Amino acid sequence: MTLLNIDLVLETLGIVAVRLDDDFIVREVSGNMLDIPLNTDMREYMPALYGLEEVFETADANMSMPFVQIGNARDEPIALTVRRDPETGVLWLFLRDVREESAMHRQLVQNHNSLSLAQVELVKARDAAQKADRAKTAFLANVSHELRTPLHVIIGGASILSKARNTPLEPDEVTDYAIDMHESGVLLLQLVDDLIDLSRSETGNLILYEERCDLCEIARAITTLCQDLPEARHTVLECQVPADPVWLFADARRIKQILLNLISNAVKAVANLNAAEVIVTLDPDMPSLTVADNGPGMTAEEVATARQPFGQPRAGVRGKGTGLGLSIVERLVSLHGGQVVIVTEPGKGLAATVSFDPERLLKSTSLSQNVS
Amino acid sequence: MKTYKIVVLGDFGVGKTSLIRRYVLDEFSDEYRATLGVHLYKHADTLVEEDLKISLVVWDIEGAPLPSGQTQRYIVGASGAVVVGDMTRDDPFSAMWAAADIFEEALPGRPLCLALNKCDIATIDNEETVARMKRRYDCNAFMTSARTGDCVTPMFHALTRSILARGL
Ligand SMILES: Nc1nc2c(ncn2[C@@H]2O[C@H](COP(=O)(O)OP(=O)(O)OP(=O)(O)O)[C@@H](O)[C@H]2O)c(=O)[nH]1
Ligand SMILES: [Mg+2]
Repeated sequence: MTLLNIDLVLETLGIVAVRLDDDFIVREVSGNMLDIPLNTDMREYMPALYGLEEVFETADANMSMPFVQIGNARDEPIALTVRRDPETGVLWLFLRDVREESAMHRQLVQNHNSLSLAQVELVKARDAAQKADRAKTAFLANVSHELRTPLHVIIGGASILSKARNTPLEPDEVTDYAIDMHESGVLLLQLVDDLIDLSRSETGNLILYEERCDLCEIARAITTLCQDLPEARHTVLECQVPADPVWLFADARRIKQILLNLISNAVKAVANLNAAEVIVTLDPDMPSLTVADNGPGMTAEEVATARQPFGQPRAGVRGKGTGLGLSIVERLVSLHGGQVVIVTEPGKGLAATVSFDPERLLKSTSLSQNVS
Repeated sequence: MKTYKIVVLGDFGVGKTSLIRRYVLDEFSDEYRATLGVHLYKHADTLVEEDLKISLVVWDIEGAPLPSGQTQRYIVGASGAVVVGDMTRDDPFSAMWAAADIFEEALPGRPLCLALNKCDIATIDNEETVARMKRRYDCNAFMTSARTGDCVTPMFHALTRSILARGL
């Protein structure tokens, strides 16, 4: 007669069988793969049993879980089966070592899930790229359009001036053509400069030449410069900045460019108003510069449009600029680690504030400068 | 003291493991390691306001867009559920509806809560759906981030409070 040693069988198969009483107290352990003490609460050893107390009151209770791991103990995965022997009514718990199977399964799940997640990311990236591509195409169409208008003026003017005619042009007429051509040429040059800035900032090739510069001095200089703009003839354009210098570590030329853009936008916005006002102020602590006008203001959508390259906030209303000003301002400010905030409402004017990283303030330097 | 079983359900990669590990171990990893089967986290905690000690077993369940038969077996005996969604996805809600339905069907009257996760890098642009889910399951929604820890512990505590309030 062959006697089957059940412990040997269980051990060979990597199984531990635990007999539990109805309160999940360990009464008998077969197979010595795991060290499970008798007369202890099995739920403490295998917390998966918590919550199952009522479920296992029924006579035919049976539950299997293929891969169970104790998360905070970094245990090896085991397969768990709990069942009541329908004949004897005894509650048995079987634990099986599934290290090898689980490693393989986990790799499959990992690959499947990672691939699905990567696919979702790729689709997102593709959609974003397509959108960027469409934006580029629209941008190019805009560029060509913007280049054509002044070029037409120049070519048209040149052809009129150079044409042989029976009655020569009046000197005034010649001057007018020359002025138009000159203005268009200046605009073209500005447009090309702006495009170069924009593309450099996009490719990361716009380099700042940072030095110590006085924000107040820059604000005063640019305000004075803008007072000579033809659109500013009937506008009160004031610079209300402190007399003492506010030293900033920044690219002075770029700060001037930022301010020039903002002030000339403001001046254009109020050009046709009575009692037009543009005020430049400075908060030395932030530090920030604000250009505020009492013009027609904008809606939130119009602001969003204006922030796009070539954005024309008012359909049909074409400003004189290149349409790239605000885009460039935003990039230049962000290169300085700052931001542009626009506060406006239709009928309530517009205030554009450019604030810089306070770390760029050079307080001590200005002190030592004063002392020496 | 009674130990309560809480199951955490949702699609894969939404941050179930991360939320639990943030709550229980106060840790976070950017690396994604898929959960196979179920991981159990035993956790003793205190509801400070009530000066009440609680004991939980949190079930971190293998994620899937639709709950399987195995998911249904894991839910058995749970006192409450956290249904997790990844707010960076185009549609985080379908999988959440499916998981919440399964739980409600299996254990009617037991509380669940919604974890609108990865709020550190996402905003919720579908408030209306969230409001509908809250009404439908009579539950709270939490804008969580396992990465920053935002709202994670308060969510598990709130769920535990609803479990206690219902005398489960
Ligand atoms: N930014 C951010 N990332 C998170 C957050 N939660 C999780 N993640 C990341 O999302 C990925 C998936 O997180 P897991 O917690 O493993 O997701 P899971 O739901 O357990 O996934 P399965 O186990 O496959 O069901 C990981 O790379 C995490 O680092 C979060 O709140 N914010
Ligand atoms: Mg997981």
